[in-house]
Amino acid sequence: MERGKLIVERVEGKSTLTRCFSKYPFKFIVPKKVAFSILFRLKIVSPFSNIVSFQHQVGSSQTDAVWIYTITYGGGIVSGDSIAFDVTVADGCNAVLTTQSSTKVYKSIESKCSEQVLEASIGQDALLVVIPDPVTCFSTARYSQTQNFKLVTDSSLLLVDWITSGRHERGEKWAFSHYKSTNRILLQPTQPLFLDTILLEQGSHGSIADRMNDYQAIAMIVLLGPKLKHIQNQIEEDVRKIMSQRPSISSSKPNFIASCSRFGPKGMGVVIRVASTTTEAIYNFLQHQLATMEELLGAPPYR
Amino acid sequence: MEGLGDANARCLSTSFPQLWSQWQLLDSILPTGGFAHSFGLEAAMQARLVTTTDELKTYVIHVLENVGSLLLPFICATTMSPDAQTWHSLDRLLNAMLTNEVGRKASTAQGSALMRVAASVFSEIPCLKMMRGEALGSGDVYFHHAPVFGLVCGLLGFDPETTQKAYMFVTMRDIISAATRLNLLGPLGAAVLQHQVAPVAESLSTKWMNRGVDEACQTCPLLDTVQGCHSYLFSRLFCS
Repeated sequence: MERGKLIVERVEGKSTLTRCFSKYPFKFIVPKKVAFSILFRLKIVSPFSNIVSFQHQVGSSQTDAVWIYTITYGGGIVSGDSIAFDVTVADGCNAVLTTQSSTKVYKSIESKCSEQVLEASIGQDALLVVIPDPVTCFSTARYSQTQNFKLVTDSSLLLVDWITSGRHERGEKWAFSHYKSTNRILLQPTQPLFLDTILLEQGSHGSIADRMNDYQAIAMIVLLGPKLKHIQNQIEEDVRKIMSQRPSISSSKPNFIASCSRFGPKGMGVVIRVASTTTEAIYNFLQHQLATMEELLGAPPYR
Repeated sequence: MEGLGDANARCLSTSFPQLWSQWQLLDSILPTGGFAHSFGLEAAMQARLVTTTDELKTYVIHVLENVGSLLLPFICATTMSPDAQTWHSLDRLLNAMLTNEVGRKASTAQGSALMRVAASVFSEIPCLKMMRGEALGSGDVYFHHAPVFGLVCGLLGFDPETTQKAYMFVTMRDIISAATRLNLLGPLGAAVLQHQVAPVAESLSTKWMNRGVDEACQTCPLLDTVQGCHSYLFSRLFCS
């Protein structure tokens, strides 16, 4: 079965999408409006202005990124759907993969599993930013996700992978049957840097809800590479502050838990794991921590 | 590498009474430094996630499930092929999978200690000392606990099933022991709890044993998150 394909290469000095192929049940949307949104926020242009004459004045020379939204037909992933695509970010380029809204995984029919597979290759001095909204699995859904990233020594990767407990308003809290998320980061040619698989399945020794202990959303954020070094140090400090601020005589569980770890040779990578009683709190955390990416990407990762 | 394989074949002693070695390996008195680690229990207690013995029992079961899903494949693989090449490659792989720094350091500390003790104690298996020396010399072996445990048991001639269950046993033993030192329950209560959890440990062992390392996964991500907070604790009794 043919896979989707995205290739970002340098064309006339700018990161440019040179190949974009998608097929049912997903499609890619590549807005050209990132530059406009900066200008609107700075109140330099109104929606009716001609952007061309303002480009030089805004110093958008710092911004160089292609934004790609992955959309599913019908707003969610249906039982048995398979979404697979390859992403190549060539040397010196920056690319952002994101979603328009949370990825809903509908209930499983006949125990079928839906899946998403991403194979990404990041070149020298290149950056891939994967900043989706969270996955929300409906009751009895079965879902599996695999993301493989191949990097070279000075590639950069920002990866956010997260999941909510389901449709809280319908009382569905960790009611799905099966969720598996695998993330592998390899340094070319074959050195494994970071390998993580989370498997959440209803079990005989306690349900998924038991293992999640009243937390309704969990997230994992990985920061790796020279283009993310400044954020790595800042996040480590901020997480330490957030967690150390809790009074030690507190008698209740925290609503938000985060921990930060280094990984890889010379602690080159940082992974943050978060558990929260609300999805909002994680959005706020991501928005705050990743805000400084706006300059390079043209828009903040989460708003 | 072939030479080492032949050496292994000569190493496996078939006449030495295995049972006594097995008991010694599982006895908490073996100086492997396991007492310094709480498997994230200390952090979980400070975060008020574990405050009662019921919550402790649940916590122990969650840790056992996570150890089963993540580490038993490594134990199985090294027990079945207790040679240097398998050990080194699984050690490297596990290093990439232990993404929480606290847990990763604890694993290295315990594995190093176990290898050192095993090389000294089981002198009838000279390749243990040899492998240890070689690994220390190369500088790129992390000595993670699970692969070392499997390696030692494999060289002692234990079968993979016994070894995997033994690993679950020592994990259960060590968390419950940590719980007594954290004043969550007394020594008698600890012994009662250990016996209550045993059938669950047996069932989890059966569920997760004999799988390939490509299947290794975390089933309790909250544990990883909480254990990672250990280094933020203001006052700590344990290393992890």
